[in-house]
Amino acid sequence: MFLNSVVLILQEILEAALLISILLVLSRQLQLSARWFATGMVLGGIGAFILSFNLATISEWLDYAGQEILIAGIMLAVLGLLTLIGLYSTLTPSSSRHALPYLMSICVALALTREGAEIVIYLGGILNHQESIQPTFTGAGIGAGIGLSAGVLLYFGLLSLPARWIFCTCIVLLALIGGTMASQATLLLTQVDWITYSPVLWDSSIWLPEDSIPGHLLYALIGYEATPSLFQAIAYGLGFLLVSISATLGHLNHFHSRRTNTGDK
Amino acid sequence: MSRSIGRFVMLLAFTLGIGSNTSFADTPIVELRIRNHLFFPDTLEVPAHTKIKLLVINEDPTPEEFESYELNREKVILGNRKTVIFIGPLPPGEYPFFGEFYPKTAQGKIVVTAQQPSE
Repeated sequence: MFLNSVVLILQEILEAALLISILLVLSRQLQLSARWFATGMVLGGIGAFILSFNLATISEWLDYAGQEILIAGIMLAVLGLLTLIGLYSTLTPSSSRHALPYLMSICVALALTREGAEIVIYLGGILNHQESIQPTFTGAGIGAGIGLSAGVLLYFGLLSLPARWIFCTCIVLLALIGGTMASQATLLLTQVDWITYSPVLWDSSIWLPEDSIPGHLLYALIGYEATPSLFQAIAYGLGFLLVSISATLGHLNHFHSRRTNTGDK
Repeated sequence: MSRSIGRFVMLLAFTLGIGSNTSFADTPIVELRIRNHLFFPDTLEVPAHTKIKLLVINEDPTPEEFESYELNREKVILGNRKTVIFIGPLPPGEYPFFGEFYPKTAQGKIVVTAQQPSE
């Protein structure tokens, strides 16, 4: 139970920790107060408990498709928020940046709700097995510790980049997470037959299995799948483009208004 | 090339709901039970190239997560509840699955055998 608990909690924590690290770096680059982080954590924690206590009922909605529809909805909402974050963080300074802390905190809250609910359900189930409680919770602590360390590592790793690269790297990483959200939502909707089957594009499970350590890391960071379907790949591309194009549009607008302000018409 | 584009457009149209009124009666239902953190049966045989509706019934009071890397499926099933997971159509082969919450015992596989496609 110990090792399983380490792996399971690590998987759940890692994804959220990486997203939070990137947003924290972005917020620091834009000189925003990081108060949104605490709000997002608290809301996400509450959300995780609410979702886990209601998941049994939600799962039975829509002919047993409720769980997937809700989680896919959360993922698409995160994609939408990342798109807006990309846009607002590159727009003309001060005019629209006050919206960013709200967007970031909702984004973190939604990510934590989704990841946290599974942790609550798993650990809640273990409480029925008296003899497993101690090893499972120890494992959970270690898994959470490793996941958080990876987040901290990414945070300082990003900040150690040459200054002009930090912002751009954050946007690219957020776009990759956006792609992952779209791809995973597609997969969930296929699982309940709301999106029809599409052929598997490639199989890289021999070279890089999803259940290996690099496989898990790449899954958390860029949404790696060993056997993605055609629709998943299309969704990934669209999600990536959505975030990166909105950031580019904001950037162009920024340049345009700077030129206008300096009288260079 | 144009055939594959045609097929892609058809799939896309299907996804957008144009042809998605497939009757559930056409989809074979396969039952899988979870009891004492074990899958019953632990081997499910299904026909190739056929979409399957997997009905997973959790008879344990504890939650379990059906997971398979090979099938690209992952779903939490709460204690004493049941759920539905669609799989396939799949080419012949073996597709292992496991219970992520109790992976030591909860192990099983889907064996897809070459048969006449259902249509």
